[in-house]
Amino acid sequence: MSQMMRSAARSVLASRGRFVLTGTAIMLSVAFLVATLVLSDSMRGRAAGDIAEALAGTDAVVQGVVLGEPGGGPGDPERSVRRSLDPDITERVATVDGVDGAAAQWVGFAKLVVDGSSVGTGTASDVGRNWVTDPALNPFRLTSGRPPTAVGEIVIDRSLAGDAGLAPGDVVQVLTTTGMHDATITGVATFASADAAPLQRTVLLPDGAVSAWLDTAAPTEVLVDVAEAADRAEVLGRLSALTDAEVIDGSDHIRTMQDAATSPLQFLTVFLLAFAVVAVLIGVTIIFNTFALTVARRRRESGLLRAIGAERRQLLGGVVIEAALVGTIATLAGLVCGVAGVGALRWLVGLAGITLLTGPSIVSTTSIAVAAAVGIGATILSAWIPARRAAATPPIEALRESAAEPRVVSPARTASGLVLAAAAIAGAAVAVVRSSATWVVFVAAIVPALVLCGPAIVTAAARGSARVARRAAGVSGSIAAGNLAASPRRSASTALALMLGTAMVTMFAILASSLTSAVGTDVRKGLQADLVVTSATADFPTVDPTLAGRIGALPDVDAVAALSIAEGIVAGKAEAIGGIDPTALPTMFDLAPIAGDLADLREGGVAVVGDDPRLLGGTLEIGFEGSTLEAPIAAVVARSTGGFEAPLYFVDRATLDASVGRLLDATLFVDLADGVVADAEEDVRALVRATPGSFLETRAEHVANSGSEIAAFRNFIDGMLLLASFIALLGVANTTALAINERSGELGLLRAVGATRRELRRIVRLEVALLSFVAASIGIAVAVGFGWALIDVTGGTEIPSVVVPWSRLAVTLVVAVVAGVVAAAWPAFRVSRVPVLELVGRDR
Amino acid sequence: MSARPGSTVVDRQSGSALSANADDAAAMLVGAVKRFGSDRSAVVALDDVTIAFPAGKFTAVMGPSGSGKSTMMHCAAGLDQLTSGRAFVGNTDLSTLNDRELTRLRRERIGFVFQAFNLVATLTAEENICLPMTLSGRRPSVAVLDQVVSLLRLGDRLHHRPTELSGGQQQRVAVARALVAQPQVVFADEPTGNLDTRSGQEILGFLRSAVDLHHQSIVMVTHDPNAAAWADHVVFVVDGRVHDVMDHPSVDSVIDVMKGLGR
Repeated sequence: MSQMMRSAARSVLASRGRFVLTGTAIMLSVAFLVATLVLSDSMRGRAAGDIAEALAGTDAVVQGVVLGEPGGGPGDPERSVRRSLDPDITERVATVDGVDGAAAQWVGFAKLVVDGSSVGTGTASDVGRNWVTDPALNPFRLTSGRPPTAVGEIVIDRSLAGDAGLAPGDVVQVLTTTGMHDATITGVATFASADAAPLQRTVLLPDGAVSAWLDTAAPTEVLVDVAEAADRAEVLGRLSALTDAEVIDGSDHIRTMQDAATSPLQFLTVFLLAFAVVAVLIGVTIIFNTFALTVARRRRESGLLRAIGAERRQLLGGVVIEAALVGTIATLAGLVCGVAGVGALRWLVGLAGITLLTGPSIVSTTSIAVAAAVGIGATILSAWIPARRAAATPPIEALRESAAEPRVVSPARTASGLVLAAAAIAGAAVAVVRSSATWVVFVAAIVPALVLCGPAIVTAAARGSARVARRAAGVSGSIAAGNLAASPRRSASTALALMLGTAMVTMFAILASSLTSAVGTDVRKGLQADLVVTSATADFPTVDPTLAGRIGALPDVDAVAALSIAEGIVAGKAEAIGGIDPTALPTMFDLAPIAGDLADLREGGVAVVGDDPRLLGGTLEIGFEGSTLEAPIAAVVARSTGGFEAPLYFVDRATLDASVGRLLDATLFVDLADGVVADAEEDVRALVRATPGSFLETRAEHVANSGSEIAAFRNFIDGMLLLASFIALLGVANTTALAINERSGELGLLRAVGATRRELRRIVRLEVALLSFVAASIGIAVAVGFGWALIDVTGGTEIPSVVVPWSRLAVTLVVAVVAGVVAAAWPAFRVSRVPVLELVGRDR
Repeated sequence: MSARPGSTVVDRQSGSALSANADDAAAMLVGAVKRFGSDRSAVVALDDVTIAFPAGKFTAVMGPSGSGKSTMMHCAAGLDQLTSGRAFVGNTDLSTLNDRELTRLRRERIGFVFQAFNLVATLTAEENICLPMTLSGRRPSVAVLDQVVSLLRLGDRLHHRPTELSGGQQQRVAVARALVAQPQVVFADEPTGNLDTRSGQEILGFLRSAVDLHHQSIVMVTHDPNAAAWADHVVFVVDGRVHDVMDHPSVDSVIDVMKGLGR
């Protein structure tokens, strides 16, 4: 055994270059995997830990009755919508026997404004709460200064303080639903020990200010501290007797809050894991290629060993030990890099505007164990398969001259691949026809189908392109095309890594463009206003309601129409409800009515976004926090006002105000007088600039920006893809180098009969370019087909139509080919420098 | 072109036919020294060799293994560089050429036949035959191609790939490739080493007729007296030096000399 160990180690050392490349591929995959696991653990662990710590003193929570559960789409509100509590709820809770303390918690929208510009990130919500004076119930802890006591005093969380460079004593403003308020910072607080509550930036107000600033008559919830001596279950029972309220046990409340805080992260984790899996897959193909070629090169040696009496197991053992050696070293390096690289991944995620993780990372033993097992296991497995194949060859056959793989593609292999491909296509077709997501599962069969059909595809592609290559590049072209067909299995597995990479890119590009288009189409088609005033954040209206009137009073402004949005419950689901001026809005944003008359909204009607005119005449019930609205459907419109939070129902502005109270505006549409656009725009701009929480966009800008949330998401995807592509290219470089080695005799002959170094390099480059082209084309074709089916089936109303970004895909194709050629440049250069005689003599 | 040595190069040992007028030489080595390795462990493969390979003749180079015969051929063909001395193909001094010029010379003025790795697996027989010319952007004239193909009796094999040909047929394609550009000199390195006797004899017959019918110059390295007997002259190399030159060799006379070399 130790003899085998030594010889395996020697063999790894002897071919350092090859194993460094393979090792790097494994290392990167493992690093990516472990970084993903650690990041998601950390995000979830930190959020969950902070919430548990902050709410540790809260034994129970009293909340309003649930009206509707959160929707599932990208723009839907995330928490369940509840009926408002009574204003005197806190007193009623406090008088319940066994309650030691009861603290009202008021929660609303509040955005910090410093010197006229708002502070905060795009992804964290801007939250205003009251400062809970009972230290047992307060989730926040002061780190400096003192609590807010008088109206106009606030405490801010440490994230806000850090982002804006604020300290106690500084004078700022706070934008809430009731407008702009001047405030003085009296202190800075942490959420438990974290800088901020998960996915929130919080402004803490004194009890005296909350009702007026946050514009709510009653607290959102009451935090309850049960007396030590009392029986908790009994107290909870007594609390649940309260009318119009629900009691939630403290630990259940913590769990709900943790779920709410971590569910947005779930999506991201799934995403990152998908990338990690692809990275590992690519890594595995590279390892497989390397060992397949290594073993092939040693066929004669192992044939000799077999002939003089070595057992199969002994030959196999050597290779497996060698793989284990490389796998272990690379995996260890990968683990170290991955844990260190969590920072890099955080930065990458940050490209999407998501800042999730504060504080140190949580490295769990599970993450390490999973990544290590995948790294070492994948290496050994992908070495074992070719080794077993080689060991199974009869010794005499192995001793014979030709060590090259057979040129023939096994028909059985191709046939089974085709069967799988047919199953995948049929599954997708059925899924599309029946709109049933379960059939989509069959689509996964395309991956093994590509693996099995690979050699046949490559051979066919090489044959098909031989003539073109010959015409374009002469004899170098036909040699390059011929080389591909000469070793179909190796070419196919090189291609596979690239194929997977490009398929991944394509899928996400289609998803992103379809999403962008879904969000942007309505705006592109419907918008007629010259200017648009938008809110500071996508998920909450922040435009001062007086701004519309002030803009309308400007000379040269023809009309202004405001859109306000409130959250309501329709058929048990939380939906965005738009409040509009039904006469002014249509002149600036065409909602494309297909039935009824928008003017009827004045009489308390509701307009529904949809494509079925028969909805007209029905009645719609919308539940709000404090009231219920029953309205006749007065119009059906084909378009909404666009954007991420586009409402699916519109009522008259006055109707909405009557139902939910005063609202900030989400968007203002402004029409300027003809001919004076430039001057008038300046006037409006000045007004908007002086009003925090609002931004001015021209029509073109607004069209371009709708869907910008997705553009940020796309940046993040591009970052991921860069990494996946890099791993795939390592594979190209590696296999090219190995293939060149295998063909050194032939290359030497070419040099001897008069091919220049440049021609030699050209042949290698051409071959790789051809292979990359084939791989990328197939990857793109497969992904377009299945991506289309997937989105068509699962997109629903969120993504009504599939948009294929052809120009982007063309760029992907070009990049894949160029990158492949670049990856092959080094091995091509090296072989061209080897003296002719050495090439001819090698391996004889 | 650099200075050409005196018009007569006399072989120090034999003064035979090979010492004839150097203007008639297809290829030539002058004071050729080739050392492998660094000073202490250096192996001298060629030790001050001066020899001319006459044009339009079939020359065989023989010697025991390790005698330097292959190195002699590689250096004469510009595949390897001399440590000192000069190598000429026709009137061209190879030491004055850079890699690109050497490559050009190889494809335009030299033909090669190796023992193995002779054909590009992905090209057909015809494409292999034309390879040196296609590489230099020329096409062989139909007449020459026909002539070579019929000489080597490859007419029905032109569109086959190397894997579909027997060893002998593959070697015939290699010979055709070496001849089709009508190079100044063809170097053959053990061209029959991998073949059975009959195919070997066939190849030698073709080489012989290329010399007789088309005045092709051929230099062949071999260790087989039967092969050497097909040549016009045999050069015996021992320990990096030209030991002897024999004109009009027969199998027996070659064997006798080889025996005399003590191997």
